[in-house]
Amino acid sequence: MSEKLFKIISKVMNVDFKDVNDESNPSTISNWTSFNGYVLLYELETNFNVKFSIDEAMDVKNVADIKRHLKNHGVILND
Amino acid sequence: MEKEEPLSKYILDSEKLDIHNFNKKIKVAFLSSFTINGLSESLKVKCSKKQISCNPYVAGYNQYNQEILDKKSGLYFFSPDITFLILDTRSIFGDLFHFPYSITKSERENFVNEKINEIINLITKFNKTSNSKLVITNLALPNYSPYGIAETKTSYSFHDAIIDFNKKLKENLLNINSVYVFDFFKFIIKHGENNVFNFQNYLFGDIKISLDYIPYLANELMPYIISFLGLTKKCIVVDLDNTLWGGVVGEDGFDGIRLGPQPPGNAFIEFQKYLKALSQRGIILVINSKNNFDDAIQVIREHPFMILKENDFSCIKINWNDKASNMLEISKELNIGLESFVFFDDDPVNRELIKKTMPEITTPDLPHDPSLYSEVIQSLHDFSTFQITSEDTSRGQMYLEEKQRTVSKNFSSNISEFLKTLNLEIEIKETNSFTIPRISQLTLKTNQFNLTTQRYQEDQIQKFSEDTDVLINCVQIKDKFGDNGITGVFIVKKTNSDEWFLDTFLLSCRVMGREAEKAMLYFIINQAKKNNVKRIKAKFIPTLKNKPIADFLPNSNFYQENDFWIYNLETPFNMPEFLTLREE
Repeated sequence: MSEKLFKIISKVMNVDFKDVNDESNPSTISNWTSFNGYVLLYELETNFNVKFSIDEAMDVKNVADIKRHLKNHGVILND
Repeated sequence: MEKEEPLSKYILDSEKLDIHNFNKKIKVAFLSSFTINGLSESLKVKCSKKQISCNPYVAGYNQYNQEILDKKSGLYFFSPDITFLILDTRSIFGDLFHFPYSITKSERENFVNEKINEIINLITKFNKTSNSKLVITNLALPNYSPYGIAETKTSYSFHDAIIDFNKKLKENLLNINSVYVFDFFKFIIKHGENNVFNFQNYLFGDIKISLDYIPYLANELMPYIISFLGLTKKCIVVDLDNTLWGGVVGEDGFDGIRLGPQPPGNAFIEFQKYLKALSQRGIILVINSKNNFDDAIQVIREHPFMILKENDFSCIKINWNDKASNMLEISKELNIGLESFVFFDDDPVNRELIKKTMPEITTPDLPHDPSLYSEVIQSLHDFSTFQITSEDTSRGQMYLEEKQRTVSKNFSSNISEFLKTLNLEIEIKETNSFTIPRISQLTLKTNQFNLTTQRYQEDQIQKFSEDTDVLINCVQIKDKFGDNGITGVFIVKKTNSDEWFLDTFLLSCRVMGREAEKAMLYFIINQAKKNNVKRIKAKFIPTLKNKPIADFLPNSNFYQENDFWIYNLETPFNMPEFLTLREE
């Protein structure tokens, strides 16, 4: 499932799949602007059928944070 | 309604686009009072699908006032063709959005008037500084009111104020030619406030159009691009069986086809009504059908539920020829290039034939269900124009008269004998607020009898009309069958006291072949003589489509000098006797 998550991130941020990891964040991915961050959350909501709260959205600082919130919503990610 | 791709796909696709790929180019600026990221990307991708290179400029977040007021702003440096100014109710109303009843009724009225003044002042400043067309949105009406159900029992309520704002915005801009209102109010009605607006989007990033609706908005802005570039379609060509009625008349018979007030026949009535409305606003209707002529024409002439009558069609091809050959004949008879046609046929094989052999023609895919045909017609943006002129609304009648003229042509032994019988009158008209939009439209749309194919927007025509060094007129052509309306334009630049230059010289395809151009040239020559000018210089700029005018200059006694053609004013010029020239 991590693969699915990384694929979405690589698509939205227009970066190579292999360049995405748990530590990826706006300073390591140049396309990770605040707006693209929002587009990413939107894509995650659609693809994993979840709804993030505004607190969760504001809390995301890197990919690991996204994983944590997805898990809280019951999404199973096999690392 | 066609479902849009997600915004993320548009953003990705736009990054892959090379905006210099296409010949047709447009520069579009976006100003807004809230976050509209993704809109320029969506529009870029949509333009590329129509072979248009769209070069966007997106102003900073909520910077529209500064961009317009500062003459040195990035906006003016970018020099857009079209500028979209996208406003929203919360930004305009500020605190009054939540607390409209903290002030009195008359204060609310004053507030709306002040806001309108502010915006009109801003638009005036913009118009003084930029040649760009401006498209401004009106305001969406929120379902919310602090008064709830009592809102409708309140005089000049919060909602009334928004509606009043929209009404005043429209009224103030009605007669400003280069400024248009985009009906954002209706955009929200179409898609629903609960879909387009969500609080999380808004509070998180001041995004007032949720991400998946940005591409829908881009779609609704496309007509402005189409219209600006003069890519508006002129004619819709329809099939008959299973398109205008259900079933096949050759097999099901006159009484067996499905056309009437009961379903499924009513779907075809509904569709025919949409076609009729298009024809009333100037889109030409044509039939291209494989059928026995007698079977099909009987339905058109006698079926009690046919909405479209024989006279609604400017050209009728009902035969067993292949549809592509028919299309070529239609194009020839109506004098309209293939790129101006939309082809509407339920048969995928026919659609494929036209798509393959005539890719210039727009051929939309039709759903299997005829109840969805009207929606397909409604969603086609290809018929959009900035303004509907009186020529547009009477075009169907004019082409019908043309059909009668063509019949006369067949009976006349030779063409000049025929022209003599037409009682042609050519009236030279001045530029004014009625003719300027039409003149611009003619320069944008005329392809065939057009010497230089210079395209001019209304504001450019306006400037020519104010310039004493420019002779600009339009021409109204009448004959015994009726009035063809304003169908000719010439723009002559008075280069110096000895020489004038023919910048633009065109006739609508509708009036070609009647030698009206000779009356126009006769008029120009006489004006030049009155001003003691020695020679008229002209240039023929060939395009793929303007062959009909290729021989006009040599045939009119112009002689070639390098890249130009020269008419020496000592050369006598005779206008054919059968033409009557009038001046307004």
